[in-house]
Amino acid sequence: MARLSIENLSVDFGGIHALRDVSFALESGAIVGLIGPNGAGKSTLLNCVSGITRPTQGRVRLDDAVLSALAPASVANQGIGRVFQHPELVADLSVRENLLIACHRSLRYGLISELLRLPKVWTAERDAAQRVDGMLDRLGLLESAEFAIRGLPYGHRKLVDLGRALLMDIRFLLLDEPIAGLNDLEVAKLHDLLLRLRQDLGLGILVVEHNMPFVSRLCDRLVVLDLGELIANGRPDDVLRDPRVMASYLGEDA
Amino acid sequence: MSAAADIPRTQRAAMSFGMSTVLLGLCLAAACVAPFVLNGYGLYVLTLTGVFALVALGLNLLTGYAGQISLCHAAFFGVGAYATAILTQKVGLPYLLSILAGALLTAAVGAIVAVPAMRLKSLYLAIATLGFGVVLQKIIFEWRGLTNGGGGLALNPPAIAGHELGETGLYYLTLALMTLGIWGAWNLSRSRTGRALLMIKESEIAAGALVIPAARYKVIAFAISAFYAAVAGGLFAYLVRYIHPENFSVGLSIAFLSMVVIGGLGTIGGSIVGAGFYVIVPELLRGIKDAPGLVFGLLLVIVMVLMPQGLWGVVRYLRRRA
Repeated sequence: MARLSIENLSVDFGGIHALRDVSFALESGAIVGLIGPNGAGKSTLLNCVSGITRPTQGRVRLDDAVLSALAPASVANQGIGRVFQHPELVADLSVRENLLIACHRSLRYGLISELLRLPKVWTAERDAAQRVDGMLDRLGLLESAEFAIRGLPYGHRKLVDLGRALLMDIRFLLLDEPIAGLNDLEVAKLHDLLLRLRQDLGLGILVVEHNMPFVSRLCDRLVVLDLGELIANGRPDDVLRDPRVMASYLGEDA
Repeated sequence: MSAAADIPRTQRAAMSFGMSTVLLGLCLAAACVAPFVLNGYGLYVLTLTGVFALVALGLNLLTGYAGQISLCHAAFFGVGAYATAILTQKVGLPYLLSILAGALLTAAVGAIVAVPAMRLKSLYLAIATLGFGVVLQKIIFEWRGLTNGGGGLALNPPAIAGHELGETGLYYLTLALMTLGIWGAWNLSRSRTGRALLMIKESEIAAGALVIPAARYKVIAFAISAFYAAVAGGLFAYLVRYIHPENFSVGLSIAFLSMVVIGGLGTIGGSIVGAGFYVIVPELLRGIKDAPGLVFGLLLVIVMVLMPQGLWGVVRYLRRRA
């Protein structure tokens, strides 16, 4: 049972307080929604956890290890997967090749062997391709393995991006607006997929999302940010009835 | 989940392997018999194409795959040429060993050039590498004791295992090294490093999230790219048999970059086709009175306007339709 803790996190961008003294934690197997109006600091918080933004104060911990001093690649190496709002895929490569990018860490042959395509490169690539096919199967993308990303619909690209994060043996998954641009069917599929990932792999998932029905159905807990401050943290029903949340985020008619 | 059912079957990323192999075999066979068909000058032009193609292969790994622009490849080419010439002529090492040693040395220089690349992007990086190119060229010029400075270096014909290498021999050596270069680049492009470089070009931040350290791979890309340029330089020195610092100016760096863009960024075939276009087309235009430069310049514009994916993009398109 692992625990990802955000402790007294503050981020200043030249006098603007993007985050102010935010603390909460995410355990393995929990799905937490991070919500708030535009500019509330949600993406800044994800960037702090992934090592892209350095906090001005406070820290991020994974159990006893402090993450907030590490480079993004090192944070990812600790088992923190990040899926960006817009899928960052190589358009000319196939679906399978894009997933193979995520096998980078587990492919351990050296540069010289690679240049000469020694037998160990061949077998390592074959094993990686098998792992990738397993993931494609899980995502329901096996039939499009050979298609170039360029020709894929947006929803499938987002799935490929998610698949890459999952191939890295992660313990925690950070999702930035996972359903933006998806149709209803794809949203329903993603909902089921995330629940299964939690159940099968014990993943802890932190979701930034604007779609309230989606997050309140999916998440065990909601954390609400407003102007960089944490204003609520609790079960979706309770949080959505919180007067401060209604006033700041959901407006009068919520 | 049967998501694949609703994906339009548009493009296949993998191309038919059999046909590519046949085409490649035909090209190689044609290249092997070329010395029996061409006169001395034709052979020189073809060897030069092979030499430039090697540079373009390396530069394409850096620019086409990793997305890093370099305007100092002429300098890498020059360092390779001078290092090979000096090691062969003054130190007395065997020719092939000199090429290898010169290329390893230049790869180290390339890794040093990569240091600013960790912080700079696009045009800013281009200007920084331009500066490096000028500095390297100046070093060659000023280090007279070693390079004979502005006097240039005249070279004896190279020898391998006691046999003097004539024009045909050098052509076959170039062909062999270029084939090795293609093979190595192809191996990289379809495994760990090639994919990492493409990911870095797409987004360094997203690459970080996939545990691909962008800084390290930029250094690797610069080093490999410089290695290719230096091997080509070692061949070039003995093709022309007289090298001078002015041979390796920024203009040549721009020519290398043009070859890669004309041929097709991020493609291996494009590097070869681009080098061929750049060297051979001006030769074919020589017959046009007074205006070969003008026609070639216009051709460059036309290629870029009509074929934004480069010449190799057209080859790919035709192959997909075939």
